Amino acid sequence: MERFDVELRKVTKRFGEVTAVRDVTLQIRSGEFFSLLGPSGCGKTTTLRMIAGFEIPTSGQILIGGQVQGHLPPHKRPVNTVFQHYALFPHMTVYQNVAFGLEMQKVDKAEIAARVGQALELVHLTGMENRKPKQLSGGQQQRVALARALVNRPKVLLLDEPLGALDLKLRKNMQIELKNLQAEVGITFIYVTHDQEEALTMSDRIAVMNRGRVLQVGSPEVIYEQPENRFVADFIGETNFVTGVLQRAGLPVEIEVAGQLVQAGWLAEGVRTGETAVLSIRPEKIHLLPGSANGEAHQFGTAVSGQVERTIYLGTDTRYLIRLDAETRLVVRMQNTQVGHSHFAIGDTVWACWNPAHARVLSAEE
Amino acid sequence: MQAIIRRSPAIRAWILLAPAVAWLFIFFLAPLVIVLIYSFLERGTYGGVVWQPTLENYRRVFDALYFNTFTRSVYIAVATTVICLILGFPMAYFIATRPQKIRNSLLLALMIPFWTNFLIRTYAWLTLLRTNTGLINVTLLSLGIIDEPLPLFGNDFAIILGLVYGWLPDMVLPVYAALERLDRSLLEAAQDLYAGRWQVFRRVIWPLSLPGVVAGSMLVFIPSLGAFVTPAILGGGKSLMIGNIISNQFLAAHDWPFGSALSMLMMVFMLVATLIYFRAVNREGGAGL
Repeated sequence: MERFDVELRKVTKRFGEVTAVRDVTLQIRSGEFFSLLGPSGCGKTTTLRMIAGFEIPTSGQILIGGQVQGHLPPHKRPVNTVFQHYALFPHMTVYQNVAFGLEMQKVDKAEIAARVGQALELVHLTGMENRKPKQLSGGQQQRVALARALVNRPKVLLLDEPLGALDLKLRKNMQIELKNLQAEVGITFIYVTHDQEEALTMSDRIAVMNRGRVLQVGSPEVIYEQPENRFVADFIGETNFVTGVLQRAGLPVEIEVAGQLVQAGWLAEGVRTGETAVLSIRPEKIHLLPGSANGEAHQFGTAVSGQVERTIYLGTDTRYLIRLDAETRLVVRMQNTQVGHSHFAIGDTVWACWNPAHARVLSAEE
Repeated sequence: MQAIIRRSPAIRAWILLAPAVAWLFIFFLAPLVIVLIYSFLERGTYGGVVWQPTLENYRRVFDALYFNTFTRSVYIAVATTVICLILGFPMAYFIATRPQKIRNSLLLALMIPFWTNFLIRTYAWLTLLRTNTGLINVTLLSLGIIDEPLPLFGNDFAIILGLVYGWLPDMVLPVYAALERLDRSLLEAAQDLYAGRWQVFRRVIWPLSLPGVVAGSMLVFIPSLGAFVTPAILGGGKSLMIGNIISNQFLAAHDWPFGSALSMLMMVFMLVATLIYFRAVNREGGAGL
């Protein structure tokens, strides 16, 4: 049986009338970089706080290292947290901040000194021992917070939007650094973020949450390429949603959009033939061909015809807005691989074609 | 002239400060100097002073009679401060951790009793505490819970009770202000780092509330040491504090120089005590006092 560092079994958390987390089941593997991704208020922070012990689930179980946590308070759980705004103790020096957890565990002085030294080295803060948090930059404070948690060698490190307060450039650097750090220490990271790019860059697996539920769990590639519902497809990256009527539930899936029959490679559970459904396809998966290239278009697998309504030149790519009928548009993103090659002009009739494997038919509801 | 004033921010600042500076000089610094000078002069027969320099007043200050009253006053002031802190800190913590709306109501509730005059409130204690006719003793006696009246009045207990009652809000408010600013996530961080309740208090809440505790202690200790209304009423004429002796020297004994010397002693003591206290708190690692 696979070993899980953290397991949530049907965990629900209610605050009065509000259900913050609904029936969440997760299994987080040892050594994994696992992200909880979702918009604000989706329950990701509450989930993290329940693992840390700051909140107790209304129902369900949380296991850490195979042990049921029940009502254990935070200081008795083998996890440490990096807080959103770092929560460094302002009256203590960097050294005292990092040493705090070890002192509370009654580790002897010599070992504390050695481990604090190592931890500060790990986050490149050697020499800053005697500074107060106020005298550090945001990025340095962030590192102290990391060192303060990691020095305890927890089984699991919980990170609550730790990069949220940093500016963009620093955030990018810290993303890479955090990922390297995790590889170095081999501790399981559970990372809360609302930034889809951050989650895609850093995670081994991502759980996408909305309104207290986990909607999909998978690797960044699975989450991006194979979204199972509208919310996940929409929240991560850009996607086209085209409403149509399902014509064939078997493979290849067939759906009628804007009066034309197109194919897709996957169908969400519960959608029946003749019902309204949504075709989901990423802009970069669509290829445009001139309206005259009939035969070539159908070699791609499936194609719809339309007119170019707008073009936006973005340097690396050009975005096209393709009008299929009065209500339906497709966004297409094509790479500008050839110098001076302007593909299509406004008003051109084009074929928008794709490999059916890249298109998915999702339920019309969320 | 006007142009100069408009152009120079320094001059403008001084003009704005002038009323306050004049006030402090006329009503604070000048009287202080007068008291200092009087303390080295001989007394006049019906009050006032005779311009004859002497150190006699300062020698008398250390007479057992006065010096004992002085040390007892220090003891009462320290006890009042400690009791205010013990009672006030949990109150401040409780208020600071309530939701915003409730917090304001609680602060208001704390202040309401102080809309009544201090003298009247002190007399109210008199009607409660008096040995034979006080409400508490009368009630307990009539219920047969006690056989003899409790010694609630005319002693240090009554004075400390009155002072604690009078100055408690002065402790609660600054401590509340410090605790209200305290970031709750720091407490969670401490818990997360294996600190139990006591450790969270000892290592995070307490050091971060020290500025408020220091301010509150000063606000309670200083008026308590110099108190004379409370001991005059609740001390029942038997238990006196240094403030009563000083006021007696001026009003009853017509010995202004000796009263001045006692005043100077009290002020020097307060200054030294304050400095020692600040230094001790700084060593404790107070948050940058």
